[in-house]
Formats: sequence, structure tokens, C-alpha cells
Amino acid sequence: MNESLITLTLAAAVAAGTPLALAAIGEIITQRAGILNLGVEGMMLLGAVTTFLTANATGSPWVGMVAGATSAALLAATHAFVSISLRANQIVSGLALVIFGIGLSTFLGRPIEGVPLDPTARLPGATVPGLKDIPVLGPVLFSQDVVVYATWVLAAATALYLFRTRPGLSVRAVGESISTADAMGIRVAAIRYAHTIVGGMLAGGAGAYLILALLPSWSQAATTNGRGFIAIALVVFASWRPWRALVGAYVFGLALRANFALQAAGVTTISAEFLAMAPYLLTILLLIALSMSDTRRRAGAPEALGLPYAREER
Amino acid sequence: MYPLAPAAAVLLALMVGAFFLVVAGHDPITVYRVMMRSSFGSTPAVINTLVSATPLILTGLAALVCFRVRLWNIGAEGQLYVGAILASGVALWFGDRLGAPIAITVTIFAGALGGTLFVALPALARSWLGTNEIITTLLLNFVALLLMNWLIFGSRSYWRDPVGTFPQGKRIPSAAEFPRLGDTRLHLGLLVALVAVLLVWLMLTRTRFGFHMRVFGDSEKAARYVGISARRMILMAFLISGALAGVAGAIDVGGLSRRLDPNSLAIGLGYAGIIVAALSRLNPGGVVLVAILIGGVRNAGTALQALPERVPMEIAVMLEGAILIFALSSEVFIRYRIRWPWSAHRAITGSPFAAIPTGGDRA
Repeated sequence: MNESLITLTLAAAVAAGTPLALAAIGEIITQRAGILNLGVEGMMLLGAVTTFLTANATGSPWVGMVAGATSAALLAATHAFVSISLRANQIVSGLALVIFGIGLSTFLGRPIEGVPLDPTARLPGATVPGLKDIPVLGPVLFSQDVVVYATWVLAAATALYLFRTRPGLSVRAVGESISTADAMGIRVAAIRYAHTIVGGMLAGGAGAYLILALLPSWSQAATTNGRGFIAIALVVFASWRPWRALVGAYVFGLALRANFALQAAGVTTISAEFLAMAPYLLTILLLIALSMSDTRRRAGAPEALGLPYAREER
Repeated sequence: MYPLAPAAAVLLALMVGAFFLVVAGHDPITVYRVMMRSSFGSTPAVINTLVSATPLILTGLAALVCFRVRLWNIGAEGQLYVGAILASGVALWFGDRLGAPIAITVTIFAGALGGTLFVALPALARSWLGTNEIITTLLLNFVALLLMNWLIFGSRSYWRDPVGTFPQGKRIPSAAEFPRLGDTRLHLGLLVALVAVLLVWLMLTRTRFGFHMRVFGDSEKAARYVGISARRMILMAFLISGALAGVAGAIDVGGLSRRLDPNSLAIGLGYAGIIVAALSRLNPGGVVLVAILIGGVRNAGTALQALPERVPMEIAVMLEGAILIFALSSEVFIRYRIRWPWSAHRAITGSPFAAIPTGGDRA
């Protein structure tokens, strides 16, 4: 494997990791407020198809991205209503979102199956002047597109918000002990709603990025492929911390791209199907390994995650 | 309230579906009329619906067994594929050496074994280490799909038909083919599914294990105090669940496709099982009714595809998701007596499907 292939692979890994990072940071925001939204996969898919339709119609990737994020936010708002106001089971609600999202995106996407994205609607590349000339790091990190850089800003901003600001403290309080937060006068339901919806927007953004930057055309079967669930696993690996989710996302990006690199390097003894299993198996093995180390077991999991809340009810 | 709630859920879901049908430029009244006609409108339609419902009964039971003890096996999809792989492999291997009744029995048990084996890793990880089973079982679905695709499309495996230009599974020997019921498309699989319903019901209501399941599902703490082993309970629930999903795979092989056919298997039967279990409110008898309802919706989806205006069949999947969301929302009306915000309300407990805390105690 020569050097340029390594650089290319790493650059592709960063790009492939970006939607995972967006979705995972979104889910961290949601879960920090105590809401478990398993519907990331469905929100990403709906975001992707909405983005594709609007971007192709308007010729603007940005309009597409906003539309995609909005559609996913609507799904997230549904989950928020069902799990916060109606206090229903969040796991089932999240899975319902996945099924609904798969159905709706395939339904809306059927007429455009296999249609390529209009070149003008593709996300333009954007290099960082100066930094892009650093060997290896330059092409890997600084010759990407605006969304990749925005993801770093997002990770930093989310970390700052959650751990260094007063509102962030309230969010964590809601996620850890909602009745305490309620007694403190924090508007717990409003916070849970807002953070579930923001998480949905980011999942929609992740779907938008898949379509605008990574895939040549719309194809329901090839769009997310479980990335939404890998993003949820990333939240656990990252112990609910945005920076770790970002790094983890790039590692998984590498796992997603490794098969192309191996094929390019002339490794043909392993079937494509088995190479494609790698990211899933990696996720599963990491999860098991993580739960083996007892002390780290509960590191960071919000205490009130998944718990519905009714005032004066125990 | 209870019988009203699911009906309302279906109605509301149809309204959401109508909205998107209009958006996509279809006439919802026509679409729903065709759906109704092709799912329950005639004897052949009803038979097709029952054929579609058969695997859903089994995947619904698979979800039910785990949900009863608050475990989230989302991997019935993958367990079904592996069940089908093992069932077709065993059927092919025995060939016509066995008589029909034995060959069929062996095929079904091979399916159960396949599902059990495939759920073993997440089950062990959950029971011994507390590993979150939602993510592990779910991601294994993708692994199983890739494995099945490799066997048929990606290699010259034992399962693949060595002749023929299109890659497809080798036909199983006639001894392992399920007999049809009368002159219809209905096959032995439906009876197998109904027997499974009966067995699960007996297990839940008439055995010590079922009683332990109920205690464990109501309160893990209480179960611990009376000496029910959580590890054993979790493991058993998973293995039974996997076996049921695996049998669903075997039934497709023996009764419908007569070979390992990814196109017939990979249609989201495992995910739909979650809906079936949820809508049945974790009641084995209810599973049959809901499976027939969902089977009808799916069947209708296929018929829509054949319409001149080609309404995408995925409207059916979307409806399934919407039905689940609304059914879940209606739980609140079943569980709580609604008095509006200006008066206090109190919970009526005891729903097996009440909001369940998760995640916090399992990394």
C-alpha cells in the first residue's frame, strides 16, 4: 500500500466518519437530557431523501440540508411528544421512528431510485489555506468540505455548552435526576423537547451529508445501512462526550472505507460481503469489551436516560 | 378503552398515510380501496394475507418473549435469516434420504437451532456482562444479511444453485417441502406458527418458568429476592426468542421459497415482529390477530405495486411504523385515566408494556 493510497483512505475515512459524528453528537445532546432516541436511522434516511429532493429541485446543497434537517426534526418532535408528553416507552417509539422513516423515505424515494444528484447541488470542497499543505494531515483533514470543519466546531461547541455553561448544567441535571431538576425550577419538559429536536436536526444533517457528499445517487438500500445504529453505539463508546464521539466516528469511518482501500491495494482473497461486515462486528465487539471492564461500565450514562417523568409520581 | 385504541391507531395511521399519498400525487381513497380489496376482499386475498401473516406470527412471538422480561431483542430479522440458512442447509444435506415427516421436522428444528445460535452472542453478552442488547442484536441483522447474500450472490456456496444463469438458492429436496393445506397457497407453516402460539401461551401461563418470567418482568428486584436467576432468565428468554425467529426462516424455506431466497426473506419480517408484539400488548393470542392485520397491510402493498400508477409498496411499511407510533401513544389512554391538566391523575399500573426504564444501568 503506497503513501498516496493511505492518505486517500484516511481522507475518505474522515468524510465517511462525518455523518456518524453528526448523528452521534446529536444523540449525545438528546441523551444528555435523558431521552433515548433509537430512531436515528429513520431520521437520517428521511433527512437524506428530503435533502436529495430539495437539493435537486433548487440546485442548492444548503437549501437541501436545511430541508433534510427540518424533516428529521419533525420526526424527532414526534418522538419527543410520545415519550415526554405521553410518557410512552422510548425504545418502542424510537424503533417505530426507524420503521416509519424507512417506509416513508423509500416511498418518497421510489421515483428517484438510482437518479444521480445534480452536480450543482453537490457539496463543494473547501480547503483550509495554509494548513492544506501540511504533509498527510493537510490532505486528510484540511482538504475536505465546510461540513467536516463545521463538525469540529459543533463538537467543541457542544462540549463547551454541556460542561461549561449554566444551561448545559441544567440539561445534564435533567438527564441525571429529572425530579431534582424539576424541584430546582428547571423547565424539564421544555429542555427535553428542545434537545430531542436538536438531536433530530443533526441526524437529518447527517443524512443530508451522506447524500450531498458521499453517495453518487439516491438509493434507499445503500444510504444508511445501519449507520444510525452505529452512531448510537458511538455515544456509548464516547461515554456521552462529544470529542470522543468525533474521534470514534473517524475510526468507524476508516472501518467503513477499509474495504475499498483493501480492494485498491489488490487484496481480493476476502469477499466484499465479509469486508462489509467489519464495521458491524467491530461495533459489537467493542461494546462487549467495554462492558467487560467493570469500572468503566456506567461511565457517563445519564442516570435518568429513558425514564419518563411525571411530576409527583414515583 | 382497550379495543378502541388499536382501531383508532390504525385509523390515524391511515390518515397520515393519506397525507403522504396526496403529497406523492396519488388518490388515497383509490389506494386504500385497492389495499382493502387485495388484503381482505376475497378468498384468495384472505389466503394470501394468511400466508404473509404466518412468519409475522413467529417473529411477533419472538419479540413478545423478550419484551415480556424487558429485554429488547431487535435481531429477529437476522435470526430469521440464519434460521433459514441452517434449515435450507440441513434440508439440502439430507436430500431425499429421509422420509417427508422426518425431513420436515428436521428442517424446522434446524431453523430453530440457527436462530438460537445467532442470538447466543448478544444473549451471553447481555446476561453475563450487561452489554446493551439493542445495539448488538440490531447490528447482527446486517451481518446475517451480508452472510446470506454472500452464500447466494457472492460465492459458489453449497446453498447456491450450480446450474441456472441467475444466482439463486438450490431447490430443497421434495421430502423437506411443506405440504400445502388443501388446494391453496397455505402451507404447514401456518399450523406450525399456531402451535408455537399455543406453546408460548402455555409456557407463559401454565409453567413455573412462565411465572418466573412474569415476576422478573414486573420487578427484577422481586425476582432476585425469590431466587430467580437473572442470568438464566435473560439467557433463556433470548434463546427461545431466537428459536422462534429461526423457525420463521425455516418456514419460508420449506413452505414458500423452497430454497434459500434472500429476496423472499429480507423483507423486514423481524422488524415487523416488533410491531406485532407491541400491538398485541404482549398477548400471544393477540399476536395472531395483529399478524393478520399487518400481513394484510403488507399484502396490499404488493398489490399496489401492480397498479397502473405504480404506488410504491413501501406505503405499507410507512403505515406499519405509523400504526406503531399511534398504538404506543394510545397506551397512555389505556394506562391512565385522563383527567385534563387542571386535575391530578394517577396511574393504573399493570400494563406489561408500560414505559420501561432502560439504558441507565447498562452501558
